[in-house]
Amino acid sequence: MNFVELIGNSGLFLAFLGSAIAVGLAGCGSAVGVGIVGQAASGVVTEDPSKFGRTLLLQALPGTQGIYGLLIGFLIWSKIGVFGGLLPVTTEQGFMLLLAGIPIGLVGLISGIYQGKAAAAGCGIIAKRPEELAKGMVYAAMVETYAVLALLASFLMLNGIVL
Amino acid sequence: MAIVKMKKVSMIALQSEKNIIIKNLQKFGNLQVVNLEDQIAEQGFLELQPDNDNESVARLEAKLSQVKFSLDFLSKFNKEKKPMFAPKVQINEAQSKEYLEKEERLGNVYETCRGIDGRFTELKSVETKLHNTIAQLIPWMPLAVNLDEIGNTQNTSTVIGSISTKYLDEFSAAIKDENLEAYFEKVSEEKEYTYLMVVYHHVCEERILQLLKQSGWTKVSFNEFSGTAEENVNKLKAELESIETKRAELTKQAEGMVSEISFLEILYDLYTIEKDKSSVVKDLVKTDKTFMLYGWIPEKHIDALTKLMEGITDKYTLNFDDPGEEDEIPVLLDNPAVVQPLEMITEQYSLPNPRSLDPNLVMTPFFVVFFGMMITDAAYGIIMAIATAIFLKKFKPAGGMKKMMGLMFLGGISAFIWGGVFGGWFGDLIRVRPWWFNPLEEPLKMLIFCLVLGIIQLYTGFILQAYKSIKAGNVMDAVYDQVLWLMLLTGLIFMALPPLAIVGKYMAIVGAAGTVLFSARSEKNIVKRLMSGVLSLYNVTGFLGDVLSYSRLFALGLATGVIAQVFNAMGVMMGGSLIGKVFMVVFLVIGHTFNLALAVLGAYVHSSRLQYVEFFGKFFEGEGKPFEPLRIRTKYIQSENN
Repeated sequence: MNFVELIGNSGLFLAFLGSAIAVGLAGCGSAVGVGIVGQAASGVVTEDPSKFGRTLLLQALPGTQGIYGLLIGFLIWSKIGVFGGLLPVTTEQGFMLLLAGIPIGLVGLISGIYQGKAAAAGCGIIAKRPEELAKGMVYAAMVETYAVLALLASFLMLNGIVL
Repeated sequence: MAIVKMKKVSMIALQSEKNIIIKNLQKFGNLQVVNLEDQIAEQGFLELQPDNDNESVARLEAKLSQVKFSLDFLSKFNKEKKPMFAPKVQINEAQSKEYLEKEERLGNVYETCRGIDGRFTELKSVETKLHNTIAQLIPWMPLAVNLDEIGNTQNTSTVIGSISTKYLDEFSAAIKDENLEAYFEKVSEEKEYTYLMVVYHHVCEERILQLLKQSGWTKVSFNEFSGTAEENVNKLKAELESIETKRAELTKQAEGMVSEISFLEILYDLYTIEKDKSSVVKDLVKTDKTFMLYGWIPEKHIDALTKLMEGITDKYTLNFDDPGEEDEIPVLLDNPAVVQPLEMITEQYSLPNPRSLDPNLVMTPFFVVFFGMMITDAAYGIIMAIATAIFLKKFKPAGGMKKMMGLMFLGGISAFIWGGVFGGWFGDLIRVRPWWFNPLEEPLKMLIFCLVLGIIQLYTGFILQAYKSIKAGNVMDAVYDQVLWLMLLTGLIFMALPPLAIVGKYMAIVGAAGTVLFSARSEKNIVKRLMSGVLSLYNVTGFLGDVLSYSRLFALGLATGVIAQVFNAMGVMMGGSLIGKVFMVVFLVIGHTFNLALAVLGAYVHSSRLQYVEFFGKFFEGEGKPFEPLRIRTKYIQSENN
């Protein structure tokens, strides 16, 4: 499919934009979040290399937003038939698909970053009181709640769109 | 519920039999000794004095630190990897006495280890020094002059040093322009510095030194060396090599001692046992001839303790009391095997208050169901259950590891059941009709199902709080705080269901009115009481938030399923040719492993969160102190009781 056709069919264009927002923004959030935890974790591991496994657990936590984003992106693609025969999408439907991608994209971006910060602070717990790791994980998981809710919102919106 | 009932125990016996009694109590392993010093101080008995055995504690701690140092040091040279869960060495009493007498052997091992370690450090510092000297000499290697011959003659001076490369041209121009009686040779050049040998007549010394200073001159002198720089560098490199050989020798020497590791491990445990016995003495009080011990014991072990004491001596008194109002009762949990893994989850939050209730039994079905729903893949569940079952069977782990594996086993079974119910087998790789319905096709039904599960758990929480109030004798508290509240909530829920709407309306009204009237019943002022009663209705939104929080059950299960589908779709795209099929299999294995790991992590964290925040918030009282009996703690050996 060439670029001219894509512009010509603005519905498809908008649907792709929606999936790009979902995957792209949520992915950015996770990338920043995981990066922040990685920096804090490296500090902890310099002192005590045996804590690598536990810090890795914390580092994995902000990684989920990107996956939620990919998930919604994937559902949009399968809806419009990227994997075999694109379906006709009207402009209106395209807009709806675009909107469905926004909750997880936006919330994924912000919550990924802040979950990263919470998890990075949790690395401090691992450094001083490794037996309390679970508490640090719960603090980080509190942030993720909103990404989960956004994922649900995106999914329900997407599910309501009939092509 | 399943908090073990504790009794206070106090014992008085003879000083002369103290050691044997403590030794047997340690073997018994069910008595926590409490420090008596403060209580004695309050009472003011002059004959009773706090006991201690600081001398032997200090001696044993010194020995322990020697053992630990040697162990840490030698384990660096141990190439043999111990299997993760090697069986423990069996040591009987005679053997352990024998081992404890081998102080000399320990001393030798320790001294040797320290000696080797010290020489390693020495070599390291010599090596650093050599490296530094070599780095200083390297720029001068092209200079074919003996380093110690650089100096003054009657009329000239020779100096070597570096200037900033950017001033080199200026410097050389100045010498030429001013016709100075000087000569310089560029020895070598780096990015920033140029290394020069400068020869000048004493007549122009002042000017030359000024010029050099302007060019950022750093003078060096190698008077302590004889021969050229190159000769010296070669000599030093040879010395470096000899250090390497010395180090290899030391390593060999250390490796020769690796066989002592098992000896050290045994000593480590034996000294720990001895130290525990000695340090318990400081919790006792004594008179001239007797000592007194005070502590906690689980009620069911009382008879065993009496029998134990009878077996040792007949000169003792033993008293058991119920815990008083102000006592800090230690907490020991006793649950059926299925529930035990869940104790880990509660402990990570906090041990329950000893006068409250143990949530583990009630929590187990919720946690396990939620854990499985957040994975919702039958194939993943089977893999988890089988892997953890094999692990448990083969390695027989203990403590936290055992609980963790048990938790994963239960979670795996639950994931298998929910995967079957909702039709997830490696995502959509194996297409099996769901036993109930496909949540991807009927998401609203799934969402409602999750919220209903949430409501059930929240109601359970309220009921447990009511149970607590009733047990404490405050029946009306349970009615005012929980029954009315549950009526209000149930009424509101019924109002959403058409056939029950009328009933629901009246229930909600009665519940709401009751809550307004009674929720702030401790408040004397009637206006204030009604005001805060009305405000407490606002908690309905809190309940709504709690219920919505359970939508994560759906979202996380959905995430696992769809990500598996993504991997499947990508894998199938590869599977064109034969080579493609190989790649597809590898890709699918890696992808699903990744997804499984992520799903388990998410399920663990979020199931815990639902317990901690939503469920525990309704009734749980924490901050219990764990029961820590005097017992035999070992890391490497198994002590045989005979």
